[in-house]
Amino acid sequence: MSTQLIFFLVLAIIAIAGAVLVLKLNKISHRIVSMFFTFFATAGIYFLLGAEFIGIIQIIVYAGAVTILFVFGMMMTEHRNITFGYHPRKIHRVLSFIGVGTLLGLMLYGISTLDNLPLKEQYVGTAEDIGISLYGHYFIAVIGMGFLLTAALIGAIVIARKEAK
Amino acid sequence: MVHITFFLALAAILFCIGLYGVLTRRHLVIVLVCVELMLMAVSINLIAFSAIGPSAGIEGQVFTLFIISVAAAEVAVGLAILIALYRNRESIDVIKHDLLRW
Repeated sequence: MSTQLIFFLVLAIIAIAGAVLVLKLNKISHRIVSMFFTFFATAGIYFLLGAEFIGIIQIIVYAGAVTILFVFGMMMTEHRNITFGYHPRKIHRVLSFIGVGTLLGLMLYGISTLDNLPLKEQYVGTAEDIGISLYGHYFIAVIGMGFLLTAALIGAIVIARKEAK
Repeated sequence: MVHITFFLALAAILFCIGLYGVLTRRHLVIVLVCVELMLMAVSINLIAFSAIGPSAGIEGQVFTLFIISVAAAEVAVGLAILIALYRNRESIDVIKHDLLRW
């Protein structure tokens, strides 16, 4: 068992445990903290795959900004009680579980039969390669992403603003 | 070197946990958190195929940057909509917001 496999198993267990605790914990703030652990473990998996730049971006954006945004969203809404009482459609949860379980089984079966990939040396892309590709071949996509982020910023301000009487 | 099937299996498990949460949870913030989990699972797939495999290259990392940008924009607009909904309807229970049901 190589060192990389041990690191991968530890990070994967942290990520999956965090994702399960997001669904199972009792308080919204605790759920957001466990989501933070899932994001951090995923950043570790990116480091393991040799994508350092994406790992740093993941820590900055997801573990930093998105978590803080969720904490503010939790603060500004009702977060004392998260049990809403009677659910009118009990069968809904069972059907969701069966459907998602079937999907997971099919995906894991497909992945497990995928054994003929040629195992080359692991490719390591540096931040310089990402920059050259981003501002060369994907330049128009970067411009579009800038427009999207500007529109999202303005839209979020306009939607969340209090309406003038 | 870890075989690529481990990474794909991890991404599939995270995606299905997120999907189950979106379908069954009733708190709107948790639904948004689960959408983020699903997007992150797709990112793990892209990074794994960018590092290991027959056509390894930088494209997976570039597309993961785009996914992260879209996720940040989506969570900003989603939380703004959530705050507006809570202000108007005084509830963040998902099944109370059913104006568009037919």
